[in-house]
Amino acid sequence: MSDWQHIWDARGLLLSGLLATLALVAGSIMTSTILGFVVGFLRYRRIPVVNVVLRVYLEIFRGTPLLVQLLFIYFGAAYLRLDWVTVFIASLVGMTLFNGAYISEIFRGGFEAVPTGQREAATTLGLSRFHITKDVVFPQTLPVVLPPLFSQYLQLIKNTSLASVISYFDIVRQGQAIIDQGANSFDVYLVVAIMFFVISYPLSLLARALEKRIVTRRERVA
Amino acid sequence: MLFLNYWHLFVTGAWVTIWTSTVAFAIGLVLGTLFALARRSRFRVLRLIGTVYVEILRNTPALVQIFIAYFGFASLGFRLPALLAGITALGVNAGAYLAEIIRAGIASVPPGQLEAARTLGLSPVQTFFSVVLPQATRTVFPPVVNQYVETILGSSLLSAISVQELTAEARIVNSITYETLAIFAFAMIFYLILTNLVSFAAAMFSRSFFKPRIATSYKFSIRGSRQLRTGGGRA
Amino acid sequence: MIVEVTDVHKRFGDNEVLKGVSVSVEIGEVIAIIGASGSGKSTLLRAINGLETIDDGEILVNGVEVHDRRSAHKVHQHVGMVFQQFNLFPHLTALDNASLALRKVKKMSTARANEVAMAALTRVGLADKAKSYPQSLSGGQQQRVAIARALAMQPQVMLFDEATSALDPELVGEVTKVMRELAAEGMTMLVVTHEMGFARETADRVLFFDNGVIGEEGSPERLFTAPENPRLQQFLRRILEK
Repeated sequence: MSDWQHIWDARGLLLSGLLATLALVAGSIMTSTILGFVVGFLRYRRIPVVNVVLRVYLEIFRGTPLLVQLLFIYFGAAYLRLDWVTVFIASLVGMTLFNGAYISEIFRGGFEAVPTGQREAATTLGLSRFHITKDVVFPQTLPVVLPPLFSQYLQLIKNTSLASVISYFDIVRQGQAIIDQGANSFDVYLVVAIMFFVISYPLSLLARALEKRIVTRRERVA
Repeated sequence: MLFLNYWHLFVTGAWVTIWTSTVAFAIGLVLGTLFALARRSRFRVLRLIGTVYVEILRNTPALVQIFIAYFGFASLGFRLPALLAGITALGVNAGAYLAEIIRAGIASVPPGQLEAARTLGLSPVQTFFSVVLPQATRTVFPPVVNQYVETILGSSLLSAISVQELTAEARIVNSITYETLAIFAFAMIFYLILTNLVSFAAAMFSRSFFKPRIATSYKFSIRGSRQLRTGGGRA
Repeated sequence: MIVEVTDVHKRFGDNEVLKGVSVSVEIGEVIAIIGASGSGKSTLLRAINGLETIDDGEILVNGVEVHDRRSAHKVHQHVGMVFQQFNLFPHLTALDNASLALRKVKKMSTARANEVAMAALTRVGLADKAKSYPQSLSGGQQQRVAIARALAMQPQVMLFDEATSALDPELVGEVTKVMRELAAEGMTMLVVTHEMGFARETADRVLFFDNGVIGEEGSPERLFTAPENPRLQQFLRRILEK
């Protein structure tokens, strides 16, 4: 079957799908990182009532499938007659809440990785809580947090494929459109898979190289 | 609360979720072990095959893999039933992650111990079963349990190829009574119960089986945050 | 009296670690605190600068009530502390470690802060390591940077919490040398230590801690040659056996 011609002709659709995917990826990375940072920081501070609320949030968004969360948000918005909620918005919100939960645990781990002794030393020097956090804790959190964060971003890229189920016209959904036009399923999904692979694999190699650099630098600290 | 009349659909859906996840996970364990050993093999060909398997499956979305297994193979003439295609795809996907986990677990046993075993006269097979396996098992237990939980959550993707698991049933009930928020919240509660049961059972098991204790903390522990569920966040 | 500890009690859970401790420290005094692990020595030190709360009693530093939340922050400017684990900030150079608090707490300009910090580093003999990061310094050097960091804030009292216990034996000397120089310059010091040699030679007064109370107190000559408290006698015998 010379369906490859068919797919090549439909490359505009695939390109538009790619852009849609990248838009969702970029947006989700930004929003979920911000949310994750805030939640992770708040959990690190262990503020009484807030902590319970956040733990419920984590429980829900890490203990249920992303797909169900997306369905809940998208169809739930329709149920509540929030007509302005587009598939993009629903997908973005879902991705933010889902990835944000995992990222918050990454950040919390990073904050807690700073040894207590240093916070004590900083206290003894008279530094205020604000400065201890800003000048002692945060700078050391970054290298700890980067490798798992990167890892989560790679998952995020793959996770965006679920938006296709609620008809967000990403790579996968566009692929389905091309199949509907008569192209061969196997070929199309193969192309879709290759597109994801080409985005993800080099980044995963980069992430691994980064992790090695950071690990060797931290081992010299210990 | 009309949807509660259809509670039996949720139950059958949950059951399908449970058994499909478990079978897929079992497939994943077998594949994972095989490919982990392949990646550690002396033969470059085996190592290459292992790497290709792991990298391809971990760098493409599970949803696409499931579509290839079901729609893709069908278009090539291999019309597989949805259950078979779905479980296999899920299992093959899990296998790639498990291969990495198991490989790391085996590698985590300090080489010095292998040397010691040799000097004591243990054969490679004996060394594997008496020295490597017990320790590797302890190391991989938490991440392997985590993968099982991920597989359970991942089984929701099977709804996209018409497997009547929990998510699919929720959508069906939704199309009947339209009480969207309540219905999906109800489904989410099912998933929460399932995943927590697994974590809890794993923690109980490890407490009695692994002596000395390994670090698996369940919610009831003092710290509270489930260490079994850190990395992850796959759809 | 620059430090006044009056009848301090402290418990951790069910365990009462300080059972009514009272000490007065004069300006320029060097006090060595010795005793078995768990006897409360470190806890007292940490209570003096507010790292630990107390359940009863009073601690005044320079007339300021340490455990009154309103005045507590002033204490840190008068009291410097050196920890067993150094606790240097690994992401900062030695110079930045020493100047951080000057910039953030005393609000000095970077130039002025660096001047003061360099002076402190010079005093401990590490001016040439100003741009080095902690990871590239030996244990003894790291501890000396920690001392410089505390000194840069120009405290009136310096607390040393087993400052040499985490050091390899050959590195202990360079740190005790700095401590002796400080003492000779007239710094008020409270030193929790296992280094009996230092206690004998440099301390003006020695406190023997025994199970949460001060078992015996007096000049080093007397305590080490003619101890009265039987537990102290036991303790010294065990130490000397090493």
